Amino acid sequence: MNDLLRRLLATRQGALGVVLLVLVAFCCIAGPWLAPYDAEQIDFLGRFAAPGTRHLLGADQLGRDVLSRLLTGARTTVPAALGATLLGTLAGAVAGTLSAYLGGHWDEAIMRTIDAVMALPGLLLALLVANTLGAGGLGAVLAVAVAFAPGMARITRSVALAVRRQEYVSAAIARGESGTYIVLREMLPNVVAPVIVETTIRVAFAVMLFATLSFLGLGAQPPAPEWGLMVSEGRRYLHQAPWLVVVPGVAIAITAIGFNLLGDGLRDALNPRDER
Amino acid sequence: MISRRQIFAGAAVLGAASLVPGLGQAQPAPRRGGVLRISVDQAAGVLNPLLTRVNPEYLVAELLYSGLTRLRADMTAEPDLAESWTSTPDLAEWTFKLRAGLVFHDGTPCTSRDVAASFTAMLDPKTASAARTNIGPIAEVSAPDAQTVVFKLKGGYADLPVALAYTNAKIIPEKIAAGDMSVLSRSAIGTGPFKLVSFEPERQIVVARNEHYWDPARPHVDRVEVLVYPDPAAEASALIAGDTDLMASAQPSEFPRLASASGVKALRVPSGQFLNINMACDLKPFDDVRVRRALALTVDREAMVGFAAQGFGTPGNDTPLSPAYHFYQQAPLLKRNIPDAKRFLAEAGYPNGLDLTLVASDTPSTRTQLGVAVREMAKEAGFRIQVQTMPHATYLAQVWTKGNFYVGFYNMQASADAIFSLLYTSNAAWPETRWKNPDFDKLIGEARVTADEARRRDIYGQAQALMREGVPSVIPVFFDLLAAQRPYVQGYQLNPRGAVFSLDKLWLGEGAPKRR
Amino acid sequence: MSARWLLRRLLLVFYTLLVVSILVFAITQVLPADAAVTLLGENASVEALAAVRSRLGLNDPVWLQFWHWIAGVAQGNLGVSMRTGQPVGPTMLIALSRSLLLAVCSIGLMLVVAVPLGVLAALRRGKAADLGVGLVSYLGVSVPEFVTATVVLVVLADRLQWLPATGYVPLTENFWDGVRHLVAPVLTVSIVLVAHVSRMVRSETADVLSSDYVAAARLKGLSGRVVLLRHVLRNALLPVVTVVALDVGYLLGGIIVVEEIFAIPGIGRQLLVAIENRDLPAMQAGALIMAATYAFANFLADLAYAFLDRRIRYE
Repeated sequence: MNDLLRRLLATRQGALGVVLLVLVAFCCIAGPWLAPYDAEQIDFLGRFAAPGTRHLLGADQLGRDVLSRLLTGARTTVPAALGATLLGTLAGAVAGTLSAYLGGHWDEAIMRTIDAVMALPGLLLALLVANTLGAGGLGAVLAVAVAFAPGMARITRSVALAVRRQEYVSAAIARGESGTYIVLREMLPNVVAPVIVETTIRVAFAVMLFATLSFLGLGAQPPAPEWGLMVSEGRRYLHQAPWLVVVPGVAIAITAIGFNLLGDGLRDALNPRDER
Repeated sequence: MISRRQIFAGAAVLGAASLVPGLGQAQPAPRRGGVLRISVDQAAGVLNPLLTRVNPEYLVAELLYSGLTRLRADMTAEPDLAESWTSTPDLAEWTFKLRAGLVFHDGTPCTSRDVAASFTAMLDPKTASAARTNIGPIAEVSAPDAQTVVFKLKGGYADLPVALAYTNAKIIPEKIAAGDMSVLSRSAIGTGPFKLVSFEPERQIVVARNEHYWDPARPHVDRVEVLVYPDPAAEASALIAGDTDLMASAQPSEFPRLASASGVKALRVPSGQFLNINMACDLKPFDDVRVRRALALTVDREAMVGFAAQGFGTPGNDTPLSPAYHFYQQAPLLKRNIPDAKRFLAEAGYPNGLDLTLVASDTPSTRTQLGVAVREMAKEAGFRIQVQTMPHATYLAQVWTKGNFYVGFYNMQASADAIFSLLYTSNAAWPETRWKNPDFDKLIGEARVTADEARRRDIYGQAQALMREGVPSVIPVFFDLLAAQRPYVQGYQLNPRGAVFSLDKLWLGEGAPKRR
Repeated sequence: MSARWLLRRLLLVFYTLLVVSILVFAITQVLPADAAVTLLGENASVEALAAVRSRLGLNDPVWLQFWHWIAGVAQGNLGVSMRTGQPVGPTMLIALSRSLLLAVCSIGLMLVVAVPLGVLAALRRGKAADLGVGLVSYLGVSVPEFVTATVVLVVLADRLQWLPATGYVPLTENFWDGVRHLVAPVLTVSIVLVAHVSRMVRSETADVLSSDYVAAARLKGLSGRVVLLRHVLRNALLPVVTVVALDVGYLLGGIIVVEEIFAIPGIGRQLLVAIENRDLPAMQAGALIMAATYAFANFLADLAYAFLDRRIRYE
């Protein structure tokens, strides 16, 4: 593990990604304590206050402090994206590994169905699911997970197929172990490394997808201080108070860049010969 | 006996005078010709004039169809297809005389039979037209001869000519009204000043002059293009860039930019459009008037004009009548008073405060803003409010007229009676608060059959006082209507009702761009 | 590319559409709002609701509703919009044509920009140009479209006033005006594509550059330019075809946001409007047409891939 971290930090992308994500994680953990104001506190005279000494990153249409909302909102946005990705990955990994394990016609049927589902663009699938579950934070998390699952299943399967040909799986089959045991204890763990890389990059995608759902009115609902929602609400005052769009927009971008860099760094660290 | 007989010439002069109030310099005569580009903020998906629901749809319907009367900016009725009307002394039977020689867009004549059939269709519950509950207590419509329409009412109703100017009360051909109305969702056969050229609900709707309109002087422009801009900032940018000539409505967030842009004239008129907090008066805890009054006392109304309307509005006093209404009664503004609010709450049995969930639909977004502001203002008095925003479709299905604590939003109505009997009487069309106050009902009923102006003013004054006492809903703020135009657009007046545009009366003056 | 392969591939497209229609139908069936209430809105009387429910067949069992729908689809009748009363099929196809125009222009711009950028980065690996391309591509894939679109709108339309803010003008109506309206949305969409594809091109080119046969070609004395054009590019671009096909999926999704912001009445915006209004037939038709487009694009990509691949092998 230490070795991996050292190799990760040795890559330029990995090091930068880790720095950015430590920053983001710090905001998630300590955000509410760092916030100079209550994120919900309205202030009649402070409406649209420009960034300055009173409000470091300005104030919104109700006079709420943008920095405080950003720090408080980190707790909604980032864990939601992480949770959604993990959920989607887990579902996809199980389906993909199962498909690879079953093989033959089952594999064919599962994969063709998954391909078919992937014909719906991720955002559209997420929109439909979020709309059905009722707009809201939890619905959006599930929607992002559903949108991710087919893609993860496809990747897991291809890795799992490679693993399946490995000797220890044959050995387990020869030992007469049960199917569940083989999938869970032998195959899945070996599929993990490439999946981790993919998952990390997908978190970046999830941050953006989650924000987009909120932007379109199907994710977190006002008055939650979710970042995508903040951009969506702030757009109305773009010409009056551009910081309402810029600040949360930059926060989303930094988080997404962080996960993208980390993913690329991990790929290099786990497989130093591959230059991609 | 109240009798309003207005000949056509008189009406036209009156109309022209009210277009440009208080303008000293001589107004040039209307110029004929040109293409007007007007932008609206959402799609006009419904073309059937009996079923339109949102302002852009009303705008389009008004271009293509006519009613018997239409609404002036001062909320009085002006003749449209009807050139005059009279009523019996008890105001229970009204006779409307149609203009001679009216024709539909397809060339067929428009007679009183078409009018009667249109109203019969509106009143049929199966049609699901909003007109059904908004055009007065009509019992029966008949057409004794080709030019005459008679309305027999269930009781006296002084406001009928104004009520008949309702957005959905448009005249369609009898064969469609009595038969299959679905043809009106794709084409338009009306008697309006324009004919439909193309209908693309999400992008643009184009109409061209109806050469057979009853008034040969109008419309002044040859063509109107209604452009849909779902993004308010982009809509404002389009006007500033000169892509459009007129914005039907502008958001408060865009208004300062529009007002300071060169080559743009910003328009603003106080209106009776409001946001309110509805409380179910038949359910705990709001069945106790002290709880409702406590909440009313926590709201700083002057500040709310800033929070919800960004300063473009007037504070409200818990009655739906704003100063823009004819029968508005002046009263001192309710002051925020936390000790009194706490006391009321304690007397009602909630000394430790109350936990409540306030539901707000996501359109317009000011609903949530108002909710959040109320939550913060009411906190001190012991109200612990959670604001829950939901999509409009869900809100309509699950909360609207059913919920016990939610944010409502309404356009200004044409008359005091219209708004009171829409929302607050015991038999209201949309019983949001289930207030059910017999004294209030009696007053509203009495005003309907009263022709005397001063007496009506007195009755409506009492009704407003009852609402301030009983607080079925907290009405803290009225919005000004905002819009903007290029300076060469002449003769356009912003109507406080919000759903009336009268684009046939405007013309393009010097400096208008030449468009095909 | 045998007939068997082709048949199998077409069957897959058909299967895809079947799965998608079942999925979409199922999703729209469990929507929390009553379609009749949504349709009639605030003026619904009990009688009107009942009339609408029976007219739309909402009282039928779900399987029967599905059967009616799928039978209609098979005959090319996708139903009638609950909101506007217009047939949704033609509406959605017109909308799709606009989205495709946007998509094709964006892919075109992307190829013109992304391929040279990627090759440049691969040739100058580790140098300033490579870092610059890397930075741009990280930004491109990490900034959501609704932020990029807003920035493009503010800079190009409001500040510089070079372009109209939003809207759509058909090229057939006024070509030049239509093009002016397309620039900003095409720019927004292609930024993300460029970011994605330039990375891809860079890594593929780098792989090929370090491969043995390029070294061999160099040893044969071929000039750098010839090697680059004949061997490196052709091999490196092969996987890009697949990526572009996969990106069509992204593209159709990303277009939803871009069309919403730039008010382009394409299929993405139609779908959003349908979702907002719970217009079930429009949602079903829109989703199905989008999936069909994607499946077809993939099919084309497979054809192209097989074609290119064979040429390369035969070389």
